[in-house]
Amino acid sequence: MQASPRITYPTSTEVDFVIVGSGAAGGVMAKELSTRGFSVVVLEQGPRLLPSQFEHDEFKYMLQNGISNPSPVSWRKTEKEVARVGAGQLLYARLVGGSSVHFTANFWRLHEIDFIERSRLGSIPGADLQDWPITYADLEPYYTKVDWEVGVSGEPGPFDPPRSRPYPLPPMPVKSSGVLFERGARKIGLHPQSAPMAILSRPFNGRNACQHCGYCMNFGCEYDAKSSSLASVIPVAEATGKCEIRPNSYVRKVELNARGRATGVIYFDAQKKEQFQRAKAVVLCANGAETPRLLLMSKSNRFPQGLANSSGLIGKTLMFNVGAGVMGLFEHPLNEYRSIQVTRLSHDFYDSDPKRGFYGGGGIDARFQQYPITWAFGGLAQDAPKWGSAFKQMVGDYFNRTMAIAGHTTSLPVPSNSISLDPKVKDAWGLPAIRVTYNDHPDDLKISQFLMDRSMEILDAAGAQKKWVDYGVEPATFTAHLLGTCRMGKNPKTSVIDIDHRTHDVRNLFLCDGSSMVTSGRGQPTMTIMALAFRAGERIAGLASRGEI
Amino acid sequence: MSDQVTRRAFLAAAGAGAAWLAADPELVRAALVHARNVIAAPPPYRFEALTAAQAADLEAIAMRIIPSDDGSPGAKEAGVVHFMDKALTTFAADQKAATLAGLADLNKRAKTKWPGTTSFVALTPARQDELLKSIEGSEFFGATRGAVIVGMFANPSYGGNQNQVGWKLLGFQAHGLYQSPFGYYDAEARKGG
Repeated sequence: MQASPRITYPTSTEVDFVIVGSGAAGGVMAKELSTRGFSVVVLEQGPRLLPSQFEHDEFKYMLQNGISNPSPVSWRKTEKEVARVGAGQLLYARLVGGSSVHFTANFWRLHEIDFIERSRLGSIPGADLQDWPITYADLEPYYTKVDWEVGVSGEPGPFDPPRSRPYPLPPMPVKSSGVLFERGARKIGLHPQSAPMAILSRPFNGRNACQHCGYCMNFGCEYDAKSSSLASVIPVAEATGKCEIRPNSYVRKVELNARGRATGVIYFDAQKKEQFQRAKAVVLCANGAETPRLLLMSKSNRFPQGLANSSGLIGKTLMFNVGAGVMGLFEHPLNEYRSIQVTRLSHDFYDSDPKRGFYGGGGIDARFQQYPITWAFGGLAQDAPKWGSAFKQMVGDYFNRTMAIAGHTTSLPVPSNSISLDPKVKDAWGLPAIRVTYNDHPDDLKISQFLMDRSMEILDAAGAQKKWVDYGVEPATFTAHLLGTCRMGKNPKTSVIDIDHRTHDVRNLFLCDGSSMVTSGRGQPTMTIMALAFRAGERIAGLASRGEI
Repeated sequence: MSDQVTRRAFLAAAGAGAAWLAADPELVRAALVHARNVIAAPPPYRFEALTAAQAADLEAIAMRIIPSDDGSPGAKEAGVVHFMDKALTTFAADQKAATLAGLADLNKRAKTKWPGTTSFVALTPARQDELLKSIEGSEFFGATRGAVIVGMFANPSYGGNQNQVGWKLLGFQAHGLYQSPFGYYDAEARKGG
């Protein structure tokens, strides 16, 4: 896309919208609002990087926070404990494009059932499972917009929900892991399918096709072939001449006036100097941890428990998507380090099945999981040699003959699982660190085990010479999926935002990201977050046009 | 679970090798470049954090973690001891005391077990392995293993992984551009129609 002169707004100018965050949701929101003629400033915590700055550097991106958030997070299982830094970690990217830059690009839609599980299954003890106030049919046109505006490669699978238009791009070429997965899955009576990926299998909208370099997960794509908001919608927003993307801008508070309306946001600029950006309306797209954190930090006399928190639900019902992973060794080289992470998956167990005796469903996919350092560090089986000649021999011999299968599951909305502000730990700006409280619902662990058992059966049926557990069924201490912390709903007492993504409490404050989700889906939430943002952007623009903000 | 490998990285960085894995990449790069330069020059090698005796012991440990005795390059050829020496004066300076204590402890164990032993490096490989086995759960051993792995497998642009010895061991290439078929089974599937 031709670069046009980028507009900049003085902070004193009251823009129509200030958007906090430029990731999957913020990027789409910026595009939807600016293309409808509204003036928009997007404040992004991190820097703006060019595709040529994305490197193939495992140490930097996998072991260090090359582009991910380095701020401390404290973690505990229950509210009775004191949370500890280092006991767990959240992974999200901090740069223009947010986590859509470094994600793996798995791109599942939710299914119809995800929106209506409460009415189908009834209540689940220990959880606050609710229906969404919208249905799959409501969201389908926006999933299709994502397909065509952002760029998705795939082909329909046997369990897919209905789609109104075909995929814009054919599926990515299958890898050896995909072939073996398909072979094993079919042998045990499953119905494997191509993985839908937000990676271009052919050139699309002026962007390059994937070059199969193998650096997707945790890395930015130097070819612009990964459909991040940075590669896809942000250039469109900027081309309107109405949208400024302002990097290195870390928002600490949403300001409210005496009438209870948001007036803009206070942020730290690159020099850590405070600035105030005025706006007629504020849209938070900061992710499922940072959005609730920002609201909880935006206390006022009117909202002593945090902004727009009359329900007390901000930060609550945190959901992740969990699952276990296994690895299998095969006779011939798979060369999994080439090309994308995932090419085949199974959605045979997507739906919850009461016959299993617990709630939950999910997907299983064939994966590439081994970059050299982390592979040598801990890719082999627990009981494999860890040093010496036997280690050297095994780590070398297995590397190219190994594939992974991973499960991806539901997480129930448990009210005590939450994002809150740590009372002691601060980040580098002196702001309270994110505190995670998370104790897996027993059914989430049961579905993880169930999918892990199926994964082992697939490896056996595919002819694996050896198989081992890479990541077992354990309490969650790590996630990149941050969901459910400002739920959408019709009732202001049981939800934070309405079906327009407007907070029930503040008329010109909107929230849209993983925090909006009412249920977790089965993993891979980015497609849904982008679809929600397309829908929300359209509705918020409609409200603004009608003078209803 | 979203990203197993990232979780693995998190566990690695939070675990025994933390000091070596949770460091500023530019400092790691500097230490690895130093190692490359030292190895390229003729001996005797100079050390900054370690005495020659300590360096010899540390290298002996690294060589038991990833040996070269099968004829293919290992930690020695990767220059791991020079990487560690440099790191102990820079990003892993706070590990120096623990590293020296770990070496001293190892030598004490060696002398107790086999009276007359002059140093760890002087033991036979079998005895070195026996001794290392007795401390493999220790922080010292874990940290040393972490350093060996970084030195052996990090991107050669950092200066370690000399001549891609680590990557060659794995059969890992980094051309940046590949085309289908990528491996044996997808090639086979394609042939079969």
